[in-house]
Amino acid sequence: METRSDPPGFRPESAFAEAAGRFFELLKAFGLPSAAQPGDWSRLAAPLAGQFEQWLRMSQAGGPWGAALAAMMPGFGAAAPGAAMPGFGATAMPGFAASTAIPGFGFAMPGFGAPAGAAFGAPPLGPAAAATSDGPRAFELMARLAQVQGQLAAHWSEIANSAAQRFVARLGAAAGPPATVEQALKLYELWVSCAEEAYAATVHKEDYARLQSELANTSAALLVEQRRHAEGVARAFGLPTRSELDALRRELQELRSSLGARQAPAGTAAGAGGGARRRKPPPKPRRPPSGRASRARGGRGSRR
Amino acid sequence: MTLPGAGPGAVFTELTARLAQTLSRLQQARHVSVGCSAKRAVWSCGKTTLYEYLPLVPAAPRAGTPALLICFALVNRPYVLDLQPERSLVRRLLEGGLPVYLIDWGDPDEGDRAMDLEAYIEQHLGGCVRHILAVRAADTLDLLGVCQGGVLSLCYAALHPQQIGNLITLTAPVDFHTPDNLLAKWVRGLDTTLIAAGGNVPGEVLNALFLALMPLRLAQHKYVRLLAENPDGRTLEDFVRMEKWIYDSPPQAAAALAQFVRWFYQENRLVHSTLEIGGRAVLLRDVRQPLLNLYALHDHIVPASACAPLGALAGSRDYSAAAIATGHIGMYVSRAAGGQIAPRILAWLQQRR
Repeated sequence: METRSDPPGFRPESAFAEAAGRFFELLKAFGLPSAAQPGDWSRLAAPLAGQFEQWLRMSQAGGPWGAALAAMMPGFGAAAPGAAMPGFGATAMPGFAASTAIPGFGFAMPGFGAPAGAAFGAPPLGPAAAATSDGPRAFELMARLAQVQGQLAAHWSEIANSAAQRFVARLGAAAGPPATVEQALKLYELWVSCAEEAYAATVHKEDYARLQSELANTSAALLVEQRRHAEGVARAFGLPTRSELDALRRELQELRSSLGARQAPAGTAAGAGGGARRRKPPPKPRRPPSGRASRARGGRGSRR
Repeated sequence: MTLPGAGPGAVFTELTARLAQTLSRLQQARHVSVGCSAKRAVWSCGKTTLYEYLPLVPAAPRAGTPALLICFALVNRPYVLDLQPERSLVRRLLEGGLPVYLIDWGDPDEGDRAMDLEAYIEQHLGGCVRHILAVRAADTLDLLGVCQGGVLSLCYAALHPQQIGNLITLTAPVDFHTPDNLLAKWVRGLDTTLIAAGGNVPGEVLNALFLALMPLRLAQHKYVRLLAENPDGRTLEDFVRMEKWIYDSPPQAAAALAQFVRWFYQENRLVHSTLEIGGRAVLLRDVRQPLLNLYALHDHIVPASACAPLGALAGSRDYSAAAIATGHIGMYVSRAAGGQIAPRILAWLQQRR
C-alpha cells in the first residue's frame, strides 16, 4: 500500500460541502420547501439560468489555462477575470515592490519601496529599461485575455439559458415540487442532464473551440512574457538565466552522447542505455552521475 | 455550514443530516492509501522507474511465461491500475499467472522540459523493454498500452516489432479527428511553440481541462450523488481513492506535451502515416503483432470513435477488439469493467501462447 501526499486540488470535504450547498440552492429554486404552483415550472427558468451562469463564470472563468497561470504565476487568479493585471502584482515577484505603472513589470530594488531608477534619480538602465519595453506587450496580452474571457462569457449565458429551457420543457406538466429526497434527487439528475446537453451543444462549436485555443495561447504568451522579463532581471543582477541553464544542459547532453558513443562497444544501439540505472542487481558498478547532472540529463544519451 | 433556504421541510432535514454524516465520513476517509500489490523498482532512467510486481504465491507464473509490460499515460499516475485489491487490473493479471511490470514516468522537473517523445519512447519505454528482455533472457515481451501510453506503445511496436510479441491497447486513441472528440477540438488551435517555450505544464492544467469537458457532472454531480446514495465508510474510502488519483496528475515535460498535441491532436499523424520518431517513420501498418484493442463506449476523454479505427489501420492480421459499456476511468476501476477486462486479456494471451 502506498500513502501518497495529497495532490493539489484534492479537497474532497470542501468540494462535497460546496456542491451540497449549491444543490440546496437549486432545491430552493425548485420550490422547496415552499410549494410552487403545481405544473407551472416556467418561472423556474430565469433563476435556474442565473444560478448556472454564475457557476459557469466562477468555475470556468480562466478555462483550464487559467489554472496554468495560477499554478505557474503566484497571484494569478487572485483578481477577478478582466481585472487590470492579475498575477502581475506584487505577489508575482515576491520580495520585490511593484511600480504603480505596470505592476510586476516596474522592477524595484529589493529593500527599496520605489523602482530603482526613481529612487536614485537615474535614467532607466538595466532592469528598469527592461521593464519599460516589456510593459506594453504584457498590457496588450492582458487586454486580449479579458476580451476572450468576455466572449466566452457570452457562451456561458447561452448555455445557461438553453439548459433552463430544456429542463422546464422536460418537466412539462409534472406535479408540484418534490416531496421526498428521492424525488428531489431525481429532479436534480434531470437538471444535470439538461445542463450537460446544453453545455455540450455549445462547446463543440467551432467558435467556442477557437476561443478556448485563443485563451490558452494568450495565457501561454503572457507566461512566456513574464519569464522573458525575469530573464532580463536575472541578467541585470548577474544571475544565471533559464536559457543559459538550458544551453548548458544541451551542451552536457551532447558531451554525454559523444562520450557514450565512444565508450559503447560496437553494435550497441545508440541511446539504448539512456543513462539508465538498473536497480537490482547493478550490472557493473560505475560512478553515478552527480544528482544535479542526473536530473538534468533527462535520460538521453547512451551510457552503454 | 449555513444551508441556504433550509427550513423545517422534511426533505431539507433529511438532506442536512446526510450531509453532516457524509462530511464526517469523508474526513475519516481522507487518508486512505492507494496501490495494493507488492512491487519493486528494478530499473530507472531519469524520472522514469520500472516496477516489477511480485508474483502472488498461488498464481506464480510458470517459467518461460512472457512478461507483460504496462505502459501508462504520461498525464496520470499508473497506480489507478492497482488502486485496491478488489479494483486492481494488475492484481487480476497477477492472479492469472502473468509476470507484470509497470512503467511509472515520475515527475518531470524543469530540467526535463526538453524531454521529447523520442526520449520517452526510445530511451525510457525502450529502456524498460530492453531491461526486461535482458533479465529474463527473452526475445519478446507483451505490451499493454493504456490511454496515451497506448499511443506510445503503438509507436514502439511499429519501430521495434521484433521485441513485442503481443500488443494490447486500452482506451488508446488513434484517430484524433473524429467529430465527437471535444478535447481535440479545443486544442486544435493551440500554439505548440508557446507550450514548448513556457516550460513544463502543471498537472492542474490537464485536470482542469479534463473536468471542463463535462463540468457539472464531474465537478458537482458526483458529490451530490453521495447525498443520494448515503454511502457507508468503505464506499467513501473508494470514492476518496478515486478523488486522490484524479487530482494527482504529474507535470508534463514541455517538449513532449507540445509534440503530442501537435503531432497527434492537431496533425493526426498516426492516421495520415506522417509520424516520425527519431528520424524513423512510425507506420501503423508496421504493427503486425497480434493486437487486442479494448476501449470504452462512453468515454468522454478518448471517444470510442478515436480507438475503433485501429483495426483498419494496423498491419496486424490477428486483430481483436472489444468495446466495453463504461467510461474512461470506469475502464480502469469499475467493478463491472474489471470483471471483463482482465479475463479478456488473460484469455486472449493464453490463446496466443
